[in-house]
Amino acid sequence: MSAEEYQYIENPMSVSRREFLSISGALIALTALPAAVVRRMAVKRNDYIRARTAGLYKDDTNAKVRVSHANQGVSRLYQDFLGNPLSEVSEELLHTRYIDRSRAMA
Amino acid sequence: MSTHAAILKHPLRVRMFHYFLVLSFIPLAATGVALFLKPFSEAAMNLLMRVHVIAGMVLTLDAAAFFVLALDRVVLFTKRAFTFGLNDVKWFAVLGGYPQKFLLRKKVPVPPMGKYNSGQKLFGACILVGGILLIGTGLSLWLFPHVIPHALAKAFGDIHLIAGLFLTLFLLVHIFLGIYMFDDFKAMFLHGRIPYEEAAEVAPLWVQGEIVALTDRS
Repeated sequence: MSAEEYQYIENPMSVSRREFLSISGALIALTALPAAVVRRMAVKRNDYIRARTAGLYKDDTNAKVRVSHANQGVSRLYQDFLGNPLSEVSEELLHTRYIDRSRAMA
Repeated sequence: MSTHAAILKHPLRVRMFHYFLVLSFIPLAATGVALFLKPFSEAAMNLLMRVHVIAGMVLTLDAAAFFVLALDRVVLFTKRAFTFGLNDVKWFAVLGGYPQKFLLRKKVPVPPMGKYNSGQKLFGACILVGGILLIGTGLSLWLFPHVIPHALAKAFGDIHLIAGLFLTLFLLVHIFLGIYMFDDFKAMFLHGRIPYEEAAEVAPLWVQGEIVALTDRS
C-alpha cells in the first residue's frame, strides 16, 4: 500500500447542518460561559480590592502619624529594647524567612 | 472489492492534532503526578512546574488550533462521543469482549459498533469534558491566580487535580488498547489508513453508514 493509497473516506456530509450548528454552538457555549463567569467574579473581586485600597488611603489621610519612623511608640521600642533597625535583636524578632508549608496546608 | 482497499480513517489534520496531544499530554501527566506527590527537591519541583506549564501551553494551543481549523472534526467527534444507545449497553455488558479475550482466550459476540466502540466513546466524552476543564482551570491558575477569589482558586485546583488524575488513568488504558489495535495505531501515527476488511469487521456501522468510495464523490 503506497503512501497516498486509499479508496474510501468518511462521508463529509455525515453531520447535518442542524447538528453542526447545535453541537458547535453547545461547545462554544460550554467554553465561553464559564470564562464569562470567571471574568465577572474576577472583576467583582477587583472591586473589593479597589474599595479596600481606597479605605486604606482614607485611613492614612486621616491618621495623625502616617510613617513608622514618626511613630513615638516604635521610636520608644527601638530606644528601650531593639536598639536600632537591623540590630541582632530586631532581626531575630521582627524578620521572617521562607518556609515551605504546602504539605501542611494540604 | 480489492483485498488491499483502504479507508482514510485519520486525516492529516487529525494526526497533527494527535501528535501534539501526545507530545504535550504525556509530559503533563508525568509532571502532574510528580507535582502532586512532591517526591523531589524544591529545585527539581520548580523545574517540573516549568515543564508542566510549557507542555500545558502546547496542549492549549493545539486544542485551540484544532477547534478553529477543524471544527467539522470536533463536531463529528462530539456527536459520536455523546451518542449512546442500546448497543452501547450491550457492549458494556460484555466489556467489548476484551476481558474474555485476554483472560479466558474466548471470543464472545459483541454488538456492532460505529467508528468508535462504546469504551472509546466514553473515553472521548471524558477527554472532551476533562480536557476543557483541565485547560480552563490550568490556564486560569497560571495566568491570573491573583484575581481569582480564594475559594474559586481552591475549587479550580481540586478540579484540575481530579480531572488530571482521572485522564491520566484513562491514558494508561488508552495506550495499552491503542497499541493492541496495531493497525489503528499505525493509522494514527503514520499514514491515516486502515484496511477496509478490518474496519468492516470492527466498525461495521461506520463502514455501512459513513464511508463512501472516492469515485462516488467525483
